Amino acid sequence: MERSGEHDSKPQRYTFARAVPALIKSLPLFRLAAIWEAFRVATGSLRANKLRTALTLMGIIVGVTAVIAVVTIIKGLDQTVAQTFSSQGSTVFTISKNPQIIKSREEFIKFNRRKDVTHDDAETIGRLCTACWRVGIAANAIETVKYQDQKAENVRIRGVEPLTMFDIDGVSIDAGRVWTDSEGAAGRDICVVGTDMLKNLFGDAPADRAVGQEIRINGRPYTILGVLEPLGSIFGFSRDNVIYIPYSTYQKAYGARRSLVVFIQVPAAEQLEAAEDQVRTVMRTRRGIGTNDKVDDEGFALETQDVFLNLYGAATSNIYIVTIGVAAISLVVGGIVVMNIMLVSVTERTKEIGIRKAIGARRKDILTQFLIEAVVVTALGGAIGVGTGFGLAYVISALIGFPLLVSVASAVLGVGVSSIVGIISGLWPAWRAAKLDPIEALRAE
Amino acid sequence: MSDATLTLSPTENVIRPQTQVDGHDPSSMISMRDIWKTYQMGTEKVHALHGVSFDIPRGEYIAIIGPSGSGKSTLMNLIGCLDTPTQGQYWLNGKNVSEMDDDELARIRNQEVGFVFQTFNLLARATALHNVELPLIYGGVGSTQRHEMAKQALKAVDLTERMTHKPNELSGGQRQRVAIARALVNHPSILLADEPTGALDSHTSMEIMDLFERLHSEGNTIIVVTHEHDIAERAHRVISIRDGQIEKDERIR
Repeated sequence: MERSGEHDSKPQRYTFARAVPALIKSLPLFRLAAIWEAFRVATGSLRANKLRTALTLMGIIVGVTAVIAVVTIIKGLDQTVAQTFSSQGSTVFTISKNPQIIKSREEFIKFNRRKDVTHDDAETIGRLCTACWRVGIAANAIETVKYQDQKAENVRIRGVEPLTMFDIDGVSIDAGRVWTDSEGAAGRDICVVGTDMLKNLFGDAPADRAVGQEIRINGRPYTILGVLEPLGSIFGFSRDNVIYIPYSTYQKAYGARRSLVVFIQVPAAEQLEAAEDQVRTVMRTRRGIGTNDKVDDEGFALETQDVFLNLYGAATSNIYIVTIGVAAISLVVGGIVVMNIMLVSVTERTKEIGIRKAIGARRKDILTQFLIEAVVVTALGGAIGVGTGFGLAYVISALIGFPLLVSVASAVLGVGVSSIVGIISGLWPAWRAAKLDPIEALRAE
Repeated sequence: MSDATLTLSPTENVIRPQTQVDGHDPSSMISMRDIWKTYQMGTEKVHALHGVSFDIPRGEYIAIIGPSGSGKSTLMNLIGCLDTPTQGQYWLNGKNVSEMDDDELARIRNQEVGFVFQTFNLLARATALHNVELPLIYGGVGSTQRHEMAKQALKAVDLTERMTHKPNELSGGQRQRVAIARALVNHPSILLADEPTGALDSHTSMEIMDLFERLHSEGNTIIVVTHEHDIAERAHRVISIRDGQIEKDERIR
């Protein structure tokens, strides 16, 4: 007699909605042996279908790799940024013609119409600002530097005055000396170089060998008085590719008609606001604007490092959001792939399910078996993703040059989230397996 | 009603009054009373079994025989607790299994029924030992005891040397002996064999039937479902099924 028809009556229907609470209720009753058996079967069937397993893992791996790599890289960058800016501290602010960040073409045009920030501006600030501790000026140029037949390109030439600019910049002398006030005022052709010059011009010679040598900046000869302590690099840009010259010398070489940047330092962060107010008042007066006038453009930019930190924060939070989006999409796709493969697996193993049911496996035994199989796949994908994510972060951190911060929490999160994806995408196939009729299942090939 | 009610003694009637109401004979391992199994085929109702009643006492060796389409497979599924009857009462070792839900039936299959199938139905990737251990795993037996019981069951079918082999490394007869060991390992109330020699050559078939005979002599209750008369004739009692009803129920030895 063939049983191709439907059952006449069934006392209780095993619905999906009923399966989940029943499963949770019976969790403490799960037999360890049955769970271990489920593990054995899961790993066995994954090994038996290596290619399929690998393809199933892809989505999960991509998602977790993206998250782990980005989180690790950004953590490393955060540390670099924090260290870099704490070396100068939040006691410094600047007055300049253009702000560091120009957001649009309109802004660019507007800022270009402003008057240059001059030596006189700096002097007035120094005289009138009582809350200010150190006031200095700096102007930058990018040049090619030569020593005999050696050449260094894109070197930042920084004309500074007075000598406290070295303290404001947070740099110090490693070998030799800085120029004296009179040497600086005389505008002599002397300089203090960053450590990149040793590497690029003197073949990695020790610092004291460079002292006293003559280099050419844009064809003009300068004598090296001293070498700076290295600062390291940030985001792959060296902070040691720099040459300091006296501002008077800078004026001779590049002319006085360039806008400069005034650096103001206060003794402690608490005085920053008072100093900013004073400096703003001074500058507004010099630009012919009253203290409380409402104007479109003040004609100068007063900035602290917060500007850069805020920009950095906004950029990294955008990167986080994009990454989480990419990860979420790959995990959803990965979950769908896992669900699909699990449904195939249930169909393929209908006979096996029938055998297990015939010898006494209950619904929850079968349900657990397939859930564990799904979780094993996704957790494995998560673990591989954590590995490749850290690997990717390692390569990028080595290339750019920032510390690699491996966090256990993100590894746990990566594996945890992918396991949850496994449970969610395994539930439906596992339930289909669990409710199979043993007689029908045994008849399958 | 059935004749089992008539055979009840007055004493038993006093001790277990409900047995008379249910028509269940407590001395039997299996007691089926007016079993119906009906399937809905489209708009039509098909009766695979109509009103089947019989008793199988403990320790009996019985064959159920019938042509295909006779309702023999349906009956076997009911005896093996893979399915429940549409109507009627089925008592297995004192338990009324006719109204159990799926998980209770799984429990009964695990504890009370040992299946032997025509195509062995072993797990291909598991060793003989692991296949035999499987019912114990679902029965919640601890690993040390499980191992010991499985080894003993394999010893009972003379397969101790082959227990680390996988099914594809074993001959048909050996595979069926693994399946028999698996069926016996939980000391079930009944050993239920569905065409156990259907996939074997005649020589191996005889070996397997000899093994059943030995297991019977050791006190097991054995039910063999078959369509082959020479297999059925090895049993001590034969129930013939035709058109969903018992045609003949005779003791042959």
